[in-house]
Amino acid sequence: MDTHTALFDAGVREYRDAYWRPDYEPADTDILTAFRVTPQPGVPIEEAAAAVAAESSTGTWTQVWTDHLVDIGRYQAKAYRLDPVPGEPDQAIAYIAYPLDLFEEGSVSNVMSSIVGNVFGFKALRALRLEDMRIPPAYMKTFQGPPNGIQVERDRLNKYGRPLLGCTIKPKLGLSARNYGRAVYEALSGGLDFTKDDENINSQPFMRWRDRYQFVMEAVVKAENETGERKGHYLNVTAPTVEQTFERAEFARELGSPIIMHDYLTAGFAMHQSLSHWCRRHGMLLHVHRAMHAVMDRQKNHGIHFRVLAKWLRMAGGDHLHVGTVVGKLEGDRASTLGVVDLLREDTVPADPTRGIYFDQPWVSLPPVMPVASGGIHVHHMPDLVDIFGDDSVLQFGGGTLGHPWGNAAGAAANRVALEACVKARNEGRSLSADGARILARAAQHSPELAVAMETWKDVRFEHATVDTLDVVPNAV
Amino acid sequence: MPSETFSYLPPMTGGEVRAQLDHLNNEGLIPGIEYAERPAPRDSYWKLWKLPFVDHPSADAVLAEVDQCAAAHPQAHIKLVGYDSVRQGQVVSFVVRRPR
Repeated sequence: MDTHTALFDAGVREYRDAYWRPDYEPADTDILTAFRVTPQPGVPIEEAAAAVAAESSTGTWTQVWTDHLVDIGRYQAKAYRLDPVPGEPDQAIAYIAYPLDLFEEGSVSNVMSSIVGNVFGFKALRALRLEDMRIPPAYMKTFQGPPNGIQVERDRLNKYGRPLLGCTIKPKLGLSARNYGRAVYEALSGGLDFTKDDENINSQPFMRWRDRYQFVMEAVVKAENETGERKGHYLNVTAPTVEQTFERAEFARELGSPIIMHDYLTAGFAMHQSLSHWCRRHGMLLHVHRAMHAVMDRQKNHGIHFRVLAKWLRMAGGDHLHVGTVVGKLEGDRASTLGVVDLLREDTVPADPTRGIYFDQPWVSLPPVMPVASGGIHVHHMPDLVDIFGDDSVLQFGGGTLGHPWGNAAGAAANRVALEACVKARNEGRSLSADGARILARAAQHSPELAVAMETWKDVRFEHATVDTLDVVPNAV
Repeated sequence: MPSETFSYLPPMTGGEVRAQLDHLNNEGLIPGIEYAERPAPRDSYWKLWKLPFVDHPSADAVLAEVDQCAAAHPQAHIKLVGYDSVRQGQVVSFVVRRPR
């Protein structure tokens, strides 16, 4: 064997030679991404963008002879556009197009492993954030999407023309099953539509899941019979294993629960998607919690924006998804949150830089998801919440129900009266943002529960600056 | 027994119902009237009064229909419904009359 001649074009080439393609016209079937790229000092921005394209598709750090056995041009991702970020001279928005053949049909896990895989640890980058992702209709149609959707949920529950009202049972840890069911019964009989397991309630020594499900469903049925309204409790089925998750879901169904709950990020997308398919098969509503999201989505320069995590959830399937409240105790820029709400509820969402949406997103009739506003909200927030989220939403008051001085049922009634007063006034043409306080004060004249709630929480505000603010990139396509 | 939207507020006056009907018209919804003498939480189909009013009548015309329905069925709960043909479902539903 000749040991002195290279047998192919071995060696290291700059990524931009092959993967920076400013002349590329994205195909209708490409998955498109917008990355916020922060290169290491000295790395040209085109090279950084090309590196992201290469390392998330066909490229590796050096040439390999097997490259020649593949039509690389067909399979490579292409960085095709770079936009500056206003006020951030060391960052750029890099647009990258991925051919559809890179991905298995109907697999969020595959999309994640490819596009948010190794590349986020790449040394040549100081930081990297996936800001948005356009899923083409051809790929979208390989997903079932939400098991039921908003209209089906309303028809099943007989609730129209207003947001739904929920409440997370507190303290979130430590109650016995029977005491827990008591808290559920009080809140539902007082006027709520739903109560909810907190995300960290699974099956602990103080309360095993089967006991909780049984007492909770007794409470739900009793409250339904007393009020004449349909009700539910999000029974959290998140469990240590796939088999245990389905065992819990099956038992919830046996007991007649209309809805179960799952934590999609901590449990993982494959588990979640299986459960979502099970829910479609059995006509079960699926409430989705998002524990761990802020680990990925809160920092502006690194991670994955929540709008992408929300899109993936609508693809994998869920009927409710927590999105933040804008006004409560948890982080959430207003315009950006409204953009996420559109992505969950609308069938076609146009690109809108002022809402942080980089691409037109057609959903091609995947059912819509109900956004859930939860976390540090109380009756004084009601006019803003109805104004911001509209009818197709779940407003979830935990402390804002259970913290009422007269107890859960009174807290529930206070929120229900406040909600209905706001909806009625809005339909009459009044402005909730300008007139909210007066609308509540008037409603409180007929509701001592509301009057006491308003007095209890009159000075409670959460005014901290948002960390993840929007940079409006004017050239978004 | 409360029954869904607006049932936690004091009963609406005629003028308040008219305002809700105006809203329904402004949203392009099709009004309809349903009634039931013994409403139950699992009953999706109350009796239909005539048919949904697909020609978008005025709020006053719908209120007159509610009065006629109440006169014919004095023991019934009566609800106003709004149909959205784009969403292919009801989007408004609330009880406007309860038995005296």
